[in-house]
Amino acid sequence: MVQINLPENSKVKKGNYFKDKTGSKNLRKVNIYRWDPSKGENPRIDTYEVDMDNCPSKVLDILNKIKNELDPTIAYRRSCAHGVCGSCAMNMGGKNGLACTTPHADIDGDIDIYPLPHLKVKRDLIGDLDGLYRQYQSIEPWLKSNSKSDTTEIIQSKEDRKKLDGAYECIMCACCSTSCPSYWWNGDKYLGPAVLLQAYRWIVDSRDDEREARLKKVADELKLYRCHTILNCTSACPKGLNPAKAIAEIKKMLATANL
Amino acid sequence: MENKEPLSPHIQIYRWHISSLVSISHRITGVINIVAITFICLWASLLLLGESNYETIDFFLNSSAGKFIILGFTWSFLFQILSEIRHLFMDLGYGFELQTTKITGLLVIFGSLILTIIFYLIGKNFI
Repeated sequence: MVQINLPENSKVKKGNYFKDKTGSKNLRKVNIYRWDPSKGENPRIDTYEVDMDNCPSKVLDILNKIKNELDPTIAYRRSCAHGVCGSCAMNMGGKNGLACTTPHADIDGDIDIYPLPHLKVKRDLIGDLDGLYRQYQSIEPWLKSNSKSDTTEIIQSKEDRKKLDGAYECIMCACCSTSCPSYWWNGDKYLGPAVLLQAYRWIVDSRDDEREARLKKVADELKLYRCHTILNCTSACPKGLNPAKAIAEIKKMLATANL
Repeated sequence: MENKEPLSPHIQIYRWHISSLVSISHRITGVINIVAITFICLWASLLLLGESNYETIDFFLNSSAGKFIILGFTWSFLFQILSEIRHLFMDLGYGFELQTTKITGLLVIFGSLILTIIFYLIGKNFI
């Protein structure tokens, strides 16, 4: 159900202030969401003054700098730092994205960094994505082919291969799904843009023989039709993909298919 | 474990953009329209009960508050119609590029306002 306010234990309090010690003239304030599971406290916002003269260009660089130089207790996920792994997805300046590909120059004023929205927080900027992964599993994201042969490949035309463009590039960072208000209110049932984009990817794959079964599976009031084209997903996607369009295409297929 | 994991902030922190604004306004104007239609039906039904009722309501609708409400309903209807046309195109699979959604969203917002003014001027000068 629609719950606008945060529960009592999730209300964000004011936290610590880390004053600059370098004496730099080029400072920016960075506000970061903190929550420590070992203490029984509410989440808080810690503010750090960061010397921007000695900081590379991306938001992830700021986080690394804070962790290395100001406060080693801060926790966040990151791995490749090149927009490929999808680990450092978070909410920066009110918009979801990958910290490693988001330039901090694009954010006006103080830099606010939160975990991905409407997730159970494990610690600081780390959200719990188990629900999303379970939904991903539910669409059975693997090739289902009737082909009996183990030795010959399944041939695909160039045109059919082209249908997968814009869908196969998804890195499952969850920026889109956690930006979606429908997913916030109905995330237990609505599959969300990330998983539906992958459902679409398998539905349109010419090598897959379970197209109809896949379509029938997502044809559900809550699983699919909770998409109201708010388009937070498309505007959040760090890979420039268009989950909203993929969802619309699934709806279109269902409207025209004879299942 | 005693300290339950908190829920990360969502609508409190997420930045609005044209499409999300049009989407939420579509819902709000939908609710307003239901109220508006109910009132219009009640108004029509009251006519059956006699002339004096008509005059009372006519007096109210000609006051500045009444005019404001009528203009508000007009905008709400127009917004809903324009937004619905945008949705129809989306149902056909068109207009999902970020730039396009921005333009069509702005068309809905400003189109509904401009049409409201046009409706007002037509009503004032010609009817």
